[in-house]
Amino acid sequence: MLKIILISLSIFSIGCETKKERKEERALTIYQENTASWVRNFNPLSTSGTARWPTSCGIYEPLFIYNSMQGEYIPWLCTDYKWEDNNKTLIMYVRENVLWSDKTPFSSEDIAFTFNLKKKHKGLDTRDSWSYLKSVKALNKTTVEFKFSRIYVPGFDAIVGQPIVAKHIWEKIKDPIRFSNPNPVGTGPFTEILRFDNQVWELGKNPNYWQPNKPEVKKLKFPAFPSNEQVTLALISGDLDWAGAFIPAIDRVYAKKNPEFHKYWFSETGHTTFFYTNTMNKVLKDSKIRKAISYAIDRSLVVKVGMYNYTEPAHVTGISGKMAKWHPKDIETKENWVKYNPILSNQIFDDAGYYKNKNGFREDKNGDPLSFDIIVVSGWSDWIRSAQVISQNLKKVGIKAKVKTYDFGAWMSRMQKGEFDMAIGWAEKGTNPFPLYRGMMSSRYIKPIGKDADANWHRFSTAEVDSLLLQFEKTSDKYVIKDILHKLQNIFIDYAPAIPLFAEVSWGECNTTYFTNFPSKKNPYAPLSPNSQLENLMVLVNVKVR
Amino acid sequence: MSNSIRYLTRRLGFYSIAAWAALTLNFFIPRLMPGDPAAIIFARFRGKLTPEAMVALRETFGLTDGPLLIQYFSYIKSMFKGDLGVSIAYFPEPVANIISTGLLWTIFLAGTSLVISFIIGTLLGAIISWKRGGRLDSFLPPFLAFIGAFPYFWLAMLSLYIFGFKLEWFPLRHAYSDDVTVGLNIPFIFSSIYHAILPATTMVLVSLGGWMLSMRNTMITTLGSDYITLARAKGLSSWIVMLKYAARNAILPNFTGFGMALGFVLSGALLTEIIFSYPGQGYLLLQAVRSQDFPLMQGLFMTITLAVLAANWFVDIAILFLDPRTRK
Repeated sequence: MLKIILISLSIFSIGCETKKERKEERALTIYQENTASWVRNFNPLSTSGTARWPTSCGIYEPLFIYNSMQGEYIPWLCTDYKWEDNNKTLIMYVRENVLWSDKTPFSSEDIAFTFNLKKKHKGLDTRDSWSYLKSVKALNKTTVEFKFSRIYVPGFDAIVGQPIVAKHIWEKIKDPIRFSNPNPVGTGPFTEILRFDNQVWELGKNPNYWQPNKPEVKKLKFPAFPSNEQVTLALISGDLDWAGAFIPAIDRVYAKKNPEFHKYWFSETGHTTFFYTNTMNKVLKDSKIRKAISYAIDRSLVVKVGMYNYTEPAHVTGISGKMAKWHPKDIETKENWVKYNPILSNQIFDDAGYYKNKNGFREDKNGDPLSFDIIVVSGWSDWIRSAQVISQNLKKVGIKAKVKTYDFGAWMSRMQKGEFDMAIGWAEKGTNPFPLYRGMMSSRYIKPIGKDADANWHRFSTAEVDSLLLQFEKTSDKYVIKDILHKLQNIFIDYAPAIPLFAEVSWGECNTTYFTNFPSKKNPYAPLSPNSQLENLMVLVNVKVR
Repeated sequence: MSNSIRYLTRRLGFYSIAAWAALTLNFFIPRLMPGDPAAIIFARFRGKLTPEAMVALRETFGLTDGPLLIQYFSYIKSMFKGDLGVSIAYFPEPVANIISTGLLWTIFLAGTSLVISFIIGTLLGAIISWKRGGRLDSFLPPFLAFIGAFPYFWLAMLSLYIFGFKLEWFPLRHAYSDDVTVGLNIPFIFSSIYHAILPATTMVLVSLGGWMLSMRNTMITTLGSDYITLARAKGLSSWIVMLKYAARNAILPNFTGFGMALGFVLSGALLTEIIFSYPGQGYLLLQAVRSQDFPLMQGLFMTITLAVLAANWFVDIAILFLDPRTRK
């Protein structure tokens, strides 16, 4: 037995060394999905989100890619678009000379087919496009016409971000919802499955890719990692080139180990993590009280203790970073209730008639103490630490707030049913702040307590917002869009429907020993994080071999 | 002999009732959990999906709000047909395929370490009880109890860090190396044995003490019996007395324990698999519970239940041979 072990040990060590020497064969090794074993699924249309990561950012491609770093749409399978007929028709101009990886020419027919397939199978219509579309037709080889049943300009995002599938393949598939598409045919830079085992799989480059001389990388490799600790070890030991994992104390643990090659960039997404206050609560329904709570939170401490200083305290509008371009000019003159000001907080509570009792806790007029639960997901340590800091902060102004952790499913269910006082959570995202404010303040999502609300968990609405949102849906005029978004921000500042906590960042690490030209703060052509969906395509196309 | 058969069929009848009860619980308990799978999948996108996607998700999974009893009967029916359904967390992959990606690896890793630990532990228990009060007897039990008392994940992480990362004696992760072809070939077999050494050792280390102590304690009681004294008086060699007379009787409780432990094998050594990135059942189970993937949970629990029952039935047969009293 010992002999066998020794032999295999020596076979092994030889194997490892030769692997490091053969540099030209090195595959770009990526971690994005947390798993112990791989399941072969490359269906880009399925809503379930169970397809392998490169499916919609390597194998299949969209019409345009929204670049969140530059704040603009990058033409991809389409080259241009125009709105017609008072925003009821959208014309797309299709790129020429694009081939599918099986050498069949790509055309406008494929685009029309993809959208009509979603119409036929409701389960594929992830973004509910057919609630506003009337028809999608290929007018000729290079133009597609989208006719709308009602004016809905924000639908543009969903349309251009749609991964397009090949008509000649998918028209033969009987049940596209349950199709796992084991051997995909795509237009993207990486399309050839070289191997697929339960622990590792490899994806080779598309020999017929439409961008000349790209990609430079020959193949991608995906080892299975079920834990962040394993990812960290693999990054340090050079087994991983690109990852999107949360690593505590990353400077000490990773970057300083080899400053020349060990890089990371936690880019701001422009969005925010929120502290939700249930407006159905008899105390929290008062916007003054919500602001008082916000004044009591020391966000720089939350960011330091909860988030390892990886991010920054939030902006009062809930949008920052690249999204800050939407701020109204006079934003500085508005009430900045995300600033730490416990004195003002105390004063607001006093003015509202919630006085401190002899134990230092505030009571309402009936003598009941103000006491809340903050619910967070168990095991999400960054949120739990943040909630603990907030709980301490609130204690200082006389508010009892207990941190309670729930399993993810139970937490989600409480959020949707509105069965919480306070909570930490994310908000709707998009290419502009419209989805955020719609999710925060639209009455259309509000359900009674105990019924599932898909958004607006804190259940806030005003008629003003509803009419602004309706106007927004109907305009493609960029001045009108700007004006409406300004108004929405002002309303958000007036009512404080939810309390912005800290700016959201996305985790991205790379080891540049074998590959270069990853996005970075100096070269921000895309976010570094592989969790950036379509934008990852730009990285895969642009990464260079050292 | 007819007695033995009656005994075995009686046990079999008992096991089929146990199986039905387990399958029923298996159906109802996951459904008592709050939340629904579509909402959880939606939530996984953390705001990147519009709320309207919920409609498409429910449509995709065919989630129904039909009466629980009707769902229960169709569940029992498909279980009998061996149809475990389609997973939600790994949609649209059939549950049977997903389980098969991890099952063999779990059996290989956890099964081997269970057998090794059982054999070594039981043998050690027999030996140290024979030389009661000896050097081994005063050293081994406290030492192994000490190791067993460590939190397992700490022990596993420490050994991974020292032997895998710092000394580079063993691989950091996975069940086989990336550069071998999966299949029955020499490099692949060597590679999987090599990859199993470190995780298996940690599992054996923490469980060894239990087997040894229980064996030692029963042995000591057995060694006091009259027939042992008789055997010694007859002048039989001490190995024969120890193994054939004493150990054969003392091993019965350990055997029953072995049958139970097989169940834990299939539920997967969750921590081992996560720390060593081993592709087994444990992570699947965690994933299934996290995403409220009822079909996958049911499939996993069913394999575990059936395996435990089958293992116990085999233990019954083994005891039939070891213990003549059951044959009467």
